[in-house]
Amino acid sequence: METLVRLSFYSFTAATIALLTASACYVVQAVGRVRVRRAALTTGTGTTVTAHSAEFGPGSETFGRYGTMLGWFAVVFQALAIGLRAGARQTGPTNMYEFSLVFIFALALMYLLFERTYGVRQLGAIVMLIALAMAAWIYSLPVSEREVDPLIPALQNKPILTVHVGVAIFAYAAFSVAFASAVLYLINQRRRISWLPSLDMLDDIGYRAVTIGFPLMALVLILGSVWAHEAWGSYWSWDPKETSALFLWLIYGVYLHTRTLRGWRGNRSAWILIFGFGATIFTYYGNYFFGGLHAYGGV
Amino acid sequence: MIADATNRDANRKQLPVEERDQPMAELTNREIGRRSLLEIGIDRVWRFFCSVRAAIYEIAFLALLVLIGTLRGSSVPQNLADLLPFTQGFVNIWYDWDVFRSIPFIAICTLLAVAIAIGGMINRAPGIWRAIADPTIRTSHGFLRGATPSAQLLSSEPHASFATDLTGYLSSRRYRVLTETHGDELHVYADKNRFGKLGTFPFHIALILIMVGGIVGARFGFRDTEFVISEGETRAIGHGTGMNLTLNQFIDEYNLDGSAKEYTSDLVLLDGDDPVKSESITVNNPLTYRSMSVYQSGFGQTVMVRVNDLDGNPLYEGQIPMGIYHSTANPDAPAGTITLPQAGVRLTLIGPDEKVWNQPELDQLNLQTGEIYLQTEPLGGASGAQPEQALVFTGQSQQVGNLQVEFLRNGRYVILQVGNNPGVPIFILASVLLVGGMAVTFYFPHRRIRGIVSAAAGGGAVARFAPMARREWSGQREFRRLLDDLGAKLDIVPEIAAAPSAPGEDDAPGKTRRRARTHHPA
Repeated sequence: METLVRLSFYSFTAATIALLTASACYVVQAVGRVRVRRAALTTGTGTTVTAHSAEFGPGSETFGRYGTMLGWFAVVFQALAIGLRAGARQTGPTNMYEFSLVFIFALALMYLLFERTYGVRQLGAIVMLIALAMAAWIYSLPVSEREVDPLIPALQNKPILTVHVGVAIFAYAAFSVAFASAVLYLINQRRRISWLPSLDMLDDIGYRAVTIGFPLMALVLILGSVWAHEAWGSYWSWDPKETSALFLWLIYGVYLHTRTLRGWRGNRSAWILIFGFGATIFTYYGNYFFGGLHAYGGV
Repeated sequence: MIADATNRDANRKQLPVEERDQPMAELTNREIGRRSLLEIGIDRVWRFFCSVRAAIYEIAFLALLVLIGTLRGSSVPQNLADLLPFTQGFVNIWYDWDVFRSIPFIAICTLLAVAIAIGGMINRAPGIWRAIADPTIRTSHGFLRGATPSAQLLSSEPHASFATDLTGYLSSRRYRVLTETHGDELHVYADKNRFGKLGTFPFHIALILIMVGGIVGARFGFRDTEFVISEGETRAIGHGTGMNLTLNQFIDEYNLDGSAKEYTSDLVLLDGDDPVKSESITVNNPLTYRSMSVYQSGFGQTVMVRVNDLDGNPLYEGQIPMGIYHSTANPDAPAGTITLPQAGVRLTLIGPDEKVWNQPELDQLNLQTGEIYLQTEPLGGASGAQPEQALVFTGQSQQVGNLQVEFLRNGRYVILQVGNNPGVPIFILASVLLVGGMAVTFYFPHRRIRGIVSAAAGGGAVARFAPMARREWSGQREFRRLLDDLGAKLDIVPEIAAAPSAPGEDDAPGKTRRRARTHHPA
């Protein structure tokens, strides 16, 4: 078992290195590059004057392609890390260390699927950085929390708990992609950067990401309720983690209603998505400051 | 109070076409003059519940209350008070306010339920059904010129056969094609996934059903969170069920490191005296019978005692759970109590301190394993009699006050949760409708195309098409792909006009940028 745990950590380290380099590539491509031009002029008196001018241009597509390749490496290594860990524990993810491993995997995979669908790589500069920040947070956890301890009876679960948690993490990943599109939207709207995706496309990416995350979040609430009914005797207990998930769902409910029924697009929708991402992080890390039935999940 | 008609129309034009199609629950000044106050009042209420803006505010307010309630269950408010001490009073009120049982919360849920029923379903139904069953086919050249994107196709074929080719192609791509002839023009309306618009109904019905399920569960169900039963005991479940529960045995297992591995209770459920189900339950595996469920919740030690009066008359024989109560002097010491009205006393038992290392100064009794401290108090507490105390050892008998107490042995009890929730089937139905409704709405978007096919000035035919997908990037992309494919099939090159590009509005890098192409049929 210890070997599997160690191998899992090595895979996670490899995934982190891939994420780091992928993020760098995506950032280089998204930021663009500065072209400096120098012109030497000779005056009538024979004096030479050198003039410099700088202009911004799109980043190299090559960096973007490397970013994609490294992103897929990160997905594969992260899948391996999760698989090895599950092999050691004989169950799905059950603590924050393991949830975070899955979160990184889901983030990278979700982003790469969007990249494939829309054919744009600039979002990677934000999504991959979020995944990298998550990896850095995992490294900040005490080493003891990477160990596989026996589970308390309340967490010796049926597959439904694993599915519940897995679906939640993919919903969070979708919301993160929506957040990235919102940030790029606001940047592009203010700066008018020609090599970033069009505003309509960014708006559409945000919407599509929410149409994935919102039903998944509904499924999270439903599966969580079904499991709570089996484990705790009540399918809804107004537990802080439950209500924070409901809060998150309502935020994106507001987004969808304002967008589809009120015709909100762009700026205002982008700010809702950014607020929604804040709520996502709040919900994800809630175990650390919530009391109640989910408190034992701590780490 | 009455919205200015001009502004109203202007605002209405900002709305998506789907919403513009809906019947307006609005009044003009002239209409108001003809109507009674009651009619006007009802109309205003209807308008309120139909208002999308009001619904959004209601959802946002509900979200705010949920956030307040969520934070109440966290350390965040106290952290705020620690940071800003003058907010302590406000934070105390925050912690004391049970948001989810408060009147504002119940009121906003009720308001939303009504808004969902009226505005989300009843008011929208005619417009949605009209868009599905009887859409407007005729369009205008102005719409086609102004739409983004729009496409023009030129063909050397005669007008009629070109129209047949176009409509045939759209049908082959799963589009429903409706046509109308106006003069020498053929107006075309094509759409697909039209029934996807109905997805909003199961979704909104589900939201109401979830609330109904909660009300049914609360009104007709019950939940006993501390059903304490000792090994070998049979207890009535109560709540008018006529059911009894027997605990045969409780087993607790531990890992090598001392952590809990599993807790198992062997239960028999009886309908009256007849066993109807026998099952071993563990923490996440309840016993379920019809809509009733029995869950493992906790466990503890019991003390089996026999109590007689001083004349030898039996007063009590059974197990007393220890740990449901605790000694007020020492919270680590498990205690149990029984009331004996025949003797006019309450008998309290206190066991050994379970955490001797924790605040040892409180452990004044200093009981050892196998010892029980007994105390009797007169019932009512007003007689002025002093409590009587005594120590009893396992297997021994001891007099305490007017009682003779025999400590027979230790046993175990479990705490179960017994619940009956008839709202569960409603909740399951609502869940299916919720997910299904969302899947239909989001993944089968209603795609619509309008167009006009007419004879070209120099012979042949010209067709102009546009999607109803203003500012919908995916819809526009699908239209462009469709036109590309159509061009390939009919061997023509469609001329696609997009809106003038603002900086940053270009297609994405790495994507093939589409340029408007012109084609002159041979």
